[in-house]
Amino acid sequence: MGLPTVKSDKTGLFCAAGAALLAALAAFSLFTGKYPLTLEGLLSGDAMQLRVFWTLRVSRTLVGAAGGFALGAAGFVYQTVFRNPLASPDVIGVSSGASAGAAAGILFLSGAGAVTAASFAGALAAVALALGLSALDRSGRHSTIVLAGIAVHALAQTALMCLKLTADPERELASIEYWIMGSLNGISGYSIGGNLALCTACVVVLFLLHRQLLLLSAEEGEARMLGVSVGRLRLAVLLAATLAVSCVVSLSGLISFVGLLAPHGARLLTRRNGPGTMLLGGLLGGILLTGADILARSVAATELPVSIFTSLLGAPFLIFLVIKGRKAV
Amino acid sequence: MRMKETLSLLLAAGMSLSLAACGTAQVESSSASEPAASEAEPAQTAEQAAPAAEGAGEGTVYPVTLTDQAGREVTIESEPETLVSGYYISTSLLIALDLDEKLVGIEAKADTRPICQLSAPALLELPSVGTAKEFDLEGCAALEPDLVILPLKLQDAADSLEELGITALVVNPEDQELLNEAATLIGTATNTQARAGELLAFAQTQQARLGEVLAGVETPSVYLAGNSDFLSTAGDAMYQSDMIRMAGGVNAAAEITDTYWAEASYEQVLAWDPEYIILASDASYTVDDVLGDPNLAGCAAVESGNVYQIPGNAEAWDSPVPGGILGAVWLSGVLHPEECPEADTMAVIDEFYQTFYGFTYSEIG
Amino acid sequence: MSFFSVSDLTAGYGPRPVLEQIAFSLEAGKILGILGANGSGKTTLLKAVCGILPHAGRCTLKDIQLEGLQPRQLARLCGYIPQRSGITIDIPALEVVLMGFNPQLGLLEHPTACMREKAREALALAGLAGREQENYLHFSEGQKQLCILARTLVSGSSLLLLDEPESALDFQYRYRTMQLLRNWVREKERAVLAALHDPLLALNSCDSLLVLANGRVQALLSPAGDPPEEMERQLSAVYGAVSLHRCTDRSGRHQWVMLKEPESSDRKRGSL
Repeated sequence: MGLPTVKSDKTGLFCAAGAALLAALAAFSLFTGKYPLTLEGLLSGDAMQLRVFWTLRVSRTLVGAAGGFALGAAGFVYQTVFRNPLASPDVIGVSSGASAGAAAGILFLSGAGAVTAASFAGALAAVALALGLSALDRSGRHSTIVLAGIAVHALAQTALMCLKLTADPERELASIEYWIMGSLNGISGYSIGGNLALCTACVVVLFLLHRQLLLLSAEEGEARMLGVSVGRLRLAVLLAATLAVSCVVSLSGLISFVGLLAPHGARLLTRRNGPGTMLLGGLLGGILLTGADILARSVAATELPVSIFTSLLGAPFLIFLVIKGRKAV
Repeated sequence: MRMKETLSLLLAAGMSLSLAACGTAQVESSSASEPAASEAEPAQTAEQAAPAAEGAGEGTVYPVTLTDQAGREVTIESEPETLVSGYYISTSLLIALDLDEKLVGIEAKADTRPICQLSAPALLELPSVGTAKEFDLEGCAALEPDLVILPLKLQDAADSLEELGITALVVNPEDQELLNEAATLIGTATNTQARAGELLAFAQTQQARLGEVLAGVETPSVYLAGNSDFLSTAGDAMYQSDMIRMAGGVNAAAEITDTYWAEASYEQVLAWDPEYIILASDASYTVDDVLGDPNLAGCAAVESGNVYQIPGNAEAWDSPVPGGILGAVWLSGVLHPEECPEADTMAVIDEFYQTFYGFTYSEIG
Repeated sequence: MSFFSVSDLTAGYGPRPVLEQIAFSLEAGKILGILGANGSGKTTLLKAVCGILPHAGRCTLKDIQLEGLQPRQLARLCGYIPQRSGITIDIPALEVVLMGFNPQLGLLEHPTACMREKAREALALAGLAGREQENYLHFSEGQKQLCILARTLVSGSSLLLLDEPESALDFQYRYRTMQLLRNWVREKERAVLAALHDPLLALNSCDSLLVLANGRVQALLSPAGDPPEEMERQLSAVYGAVSLHRCTDRSGRHQWVMLKEPESSDRKRGSL
């Protein structure tokens, strides 16, 4: 039979290359920044250099790599579960919930970590509302979740608009806008521990459940007849993915495109959907965010929003993969 | 016991010494500032008189045609009797020009600006014409004002008002120079040039005095932390940078050329290692927040406790308000307490508000 | 008590039921074919038995009531092949088959080497030997059906529910699939319930036929024993005028052949 023969599985190769690239970028990121750090200074125990290195540089690099990884892996999960290649955390209103939460934090709270906590709470509230609303429909269709997500997204956007309207344009509105553009600036070792730990736990759970993810990618009835408690499993997987995203987004503000592009890239490269592809999606996410952050802090005298660079780097990459994929088939 | 006694004695001695020092410094500096002022004043008034002279002598002859700060030609038929101000800076300017009684409408949220409360509380009872984001065109038209003063952001609204037959003047007080221009413009439009001239002269006098007093002093580096966030800062092109320079300091973020608040990073602040950190007067965080920020440990300003916030009791001096020069006056006292003792600074601030706003600054909470 | 029985089953999508008061039973080792015109409720019946569709009435398999079972327990008893699988992602054929082991695996467990071997064998049985690593999405519809069939066969269930498994298969594979099912059903205490598109395949491969019309059971036929006239009458109700003929193949096996006859209304029109 004249069926196309399948290319040998290069997932492992891609993952190794991705991991190496991510490691290289992370190392580069450790030595990129406004404070002049030198290897000699660090080795000789210069207190100030060490402090900058450990509290600022390392944590920023960690959030870039791990956060990008989580966004990529979670994006993979969303796309698989919703059986929609365009699905992203926005589908169930995470981003808009986080934005509204952050805006409320900027307006009404003060103190270190208040905005992070508020945006995390906003994201969780949005997800809880979306999943809660969808649970009202007993049939458990996933279109219900998408519709509930759209409703929650709209609600959160409205809340955000109201908050912006009451915001003082000089300080609060500027902060809200800057937050929405996303940046890893201001991240320090004192504020990331909890988020990173929870995020890591969620990503680990997602990897442990990867076999179930494939089952969820089938139709509801089919998955059910393969012994899957579709509703419950989907809830658990979405919750883990969303928590991971919320952890990152509440630290960094909105980061566009990584969650959408990284898993796509991984799929186009491997033409598979196994755990290796999910891992590659995470690695690509980490590479993209770390690379974008290096640019965001070094191309200008000031800090630029990281989302500019995730899109700028990501879009051509995606187009390249799509064109290359067409030729191969 | 003995220790304590000696200690208190020492303290008392120290205090009397420092008091004496303060006294002499005050005498010295006031004597130094006086000739400076008298020298500067005639020059300034002459300069200010020049544009006013074009308007035929002291007063404005109506009808007068002016080019506003949006480049629009505006003809004012007669001396306006009712005014609307759509921007807090122009409102403050109108108070300083003693025109507050002619105002029939002001911008929203004026109650959050203490200057109105302190100088012209009656304004707070006036109808609001909205904000720069949401201007209330109909509400403004309903007040039937003779002249509406709007910021550049509301240029469209100004054009709409013109179509309704209401004269509108657009101002753009984004920095000291533009503010001076705006003051002259409004002065001419409302026939209050003389007072506008006095206002400008005050600022120039102070600038000259600071220049003289601070000639040759060491200039410490200053990081100016913005309103929205500690990490947003003012680059060299911004109004706040001039303020630092006038007060005898160097803007740590001078390498940034942005014309608006720019985002810095902790690393960058640590690399600049400023000797002083000055918080914008509307900052949404406090001096204690900055002093307690673990990410800033090791920064010279934090280590030495040199973190201050620009007072906002009357106005935010770090914005181009008519009293903006007081920001530099205040900051000079912070950076150079030797050359610019607190009593002098307070005297200048009091004089300004006494003259133009009719209240005593040092008496307010 | 029969191996599998359905009683008083009423099901539908809206307020109006598609199926009403369906009742039948099936013995172990047998294949029951469901025949009916398009929209007669074949798929609805299968989905209701699976519990995918809410319904009234009860389905009992080996004395266990299927309603109210957890998906996992249900999946151990029943396997289901939808008309078209909903798999829309790139995935190797072997992984698709391995999904069938899910009811036997814990949440975090992964298929063992033995399971992989079984999956390979099942693929080979379905005619897809050596194509384990091929992308399922690149298969033709028929090959996808075969792959899903292999998945269902490994799942270890006792009752297979198939929704027109032959619709995308060519002639050879239709009969091969039915033979595969026949072998499978005889291995242990098992039964197959298959909605079929092709009445000839049904007549020649099923032990009995459930004819659905207007949401009700119109007849339960057994091709081996019922008189041809009766079957002809029942089938004509579904497919229009047809005639049944018994033929003998070269091995001497009897097979049914169904011919389309002119409709009575056509005949009238022709005479005019």
